[in-house]
Amino acid sequence: MVKLEIKGIVKSFKHESHKLMALDGVDLKVEDGDFVCLVGPSGCGKSTLLRIVAGLETSDEGQVLFDGKPVTTTGPERIMVFQEGALFPWLKVQDNVEFGLKMAGIPKEERNQISKRYLDMMQLTKFADSFTYQLSTGMKQRVAIARALVMDPDVLLMDEPFASLDAQTRDLLLVEMQLIWEKTKKTILFVTHNVAEASVLGTKVAVFSNRPSKIKRLIPIDFKRPRLVEDENLLGVQKEILSELRPEVKKSR
Amino acid sequence: MKKNILAKKIMFYIILVIIWQVISMSDILPSNVFPSPYEVGEVLMYSAADGSLFFGIGTTLMRLVVGLTIAIAIGVVLGIFMARVETVNQTIGSLVLGLQSIPSIAWVPLALLWFGLNDVGIIFVTAIGAVFAVTINTYTGVKNIDPHYVEAARNMGAKGTQLITNVLIPAAFPYMISGFKQGWAFAWRGVIGAEMLFSFLGLGFLLNVGRQLNDVSQVIAIMVVIMIIGMAVDGFIFKKIENKVMSRWGLR
Repeated sequence: MVKLEIKGIVKSFKHESHKLMALDGVDLKVEDGDFVCLVGPSGCGKSTLLRIVAGLETSDEGQVLFDGKPVTTTGPERIMVFQEGALFPWLKVQDNVEFGLKMAGIPKEERNQISKRYLDMMQLTKFADSFTYQLSTGMKQRVAIARALVMDPDVLLMDEPFASLDAQTRDLLLVEMQLIWEKTKKTILFVTHNVAEASVLGTKVAVFSNRPSKIKRLIPIDFKRPRLVEDENLLGVQKEILSELRPEVKKSR
Repeated sequence: MKKNILAKKIMFYIILVIIWQVISMSDILPSNVFPSPYEVGEVLMYSAADGSLFFGIGTTLMRLVVGLTIAIAIGVVLGIFMARVETVNQTIGSLVLGLQSIPSIAWVPLALLWFGLNDVGIIFVTAIGAVFAVTINTYTGVKNIDPHYVEAARNMGAKGTQLITNVLIPAAFPYMISGFKQGWAFAWRGVIGAEMLFSFLGLGFLLNVGRQLNDVSQVIAIMVVIMIIGMAVDGFIFKKIENKVMSRWGLR
């Protein structure tokens, strides 16, 4: 079943006096339960596409269909995880995780029950009463993921969530992310510039061309999980992604 | 380290008082013009004993708290509106900048004519002195909110007043605290000034009485009280809140 259909998305930005074409006709079909990684040269507009799917930005042309219905604004069925987490520093970890539930008017007791489950899943129970400045970047990203999962969205939109993590923490989270995906069966769109990360996580990897961008190739990956970054099986597919990506990165320089 | 600084401060003030005492004993100036710290202390003791000092402090602080509370309530609402609605900023915003340049003392004649010789007039002067500083800082704070906070909140379903109370106000709080602190400083100057001109109870009134009685000791005594209260509010209340907010918001 198709969960998300991205059809002919065109988006340009005003840059000083001239128009900068970011996306020029992006098409992508995302099946229910897909884990699609979007890779491309920096500035190719992959994050912009994610924001359009989230409803945080509008496209100039084309549309995004969610369960066949066009997306016009943000919705709790499509939740974004931001690069720096965008956690609220004035709230404790638990209150951060419960934020969306509180906005939806769910009573405190029920909120506590739900958040407890996800705090547990993300190994954050010990930190429930901490403030975000007391957490490492890895912990913050866990909170950001828990905060998104609590909303029980159909689609998780993740914008380079592991970009600012150290290598060890990222390896750990790459494994956890696969377990979460298997456990929750969420549809995930995951922006990254890291080819190894994409090959470990994705059921499909969409390679973007340089600006004005389209999706150049959609590469399916079906190795057994959990996959590790050092898996030799993945080298082949990583090479394949890189051979598509390298010429685009060169063009973007 | 901290103890060291405190010790230095205490030493400084002790030396200052000693120098003051020495100068006043040297008879360069007559004591009715330049009283000794002992004489000033005596006035404080007497006015504390008969309760007039505490009644004065209480009256002034009551006016200050009421005035500042009004200023904060209006300033925060106005500041948020200015930050979120461009038309409000372009119109009312320019007026706010203009009004802020009027010293609060300059509102006294108007307050007298509008409200008469009473608490309401003094509170009006206090509040209007503080309100624009709160407004402008709140405006700046809301304008500087990391857009990701607002996007994340909207994405999780926050809208309207929910967004304001749960995200905009807490996210802008570090700026708002500096606004409150500035507002308090303006309010404190405003309330003392207004009390002197209204001549209706309070520390400013006691200051004026000292002048009328030609009692320099009382004038200096009240000035010392005004300074000590000012230092206490800055150093204990605002510094504590500021430190807590800054570290929790990850700004330090």
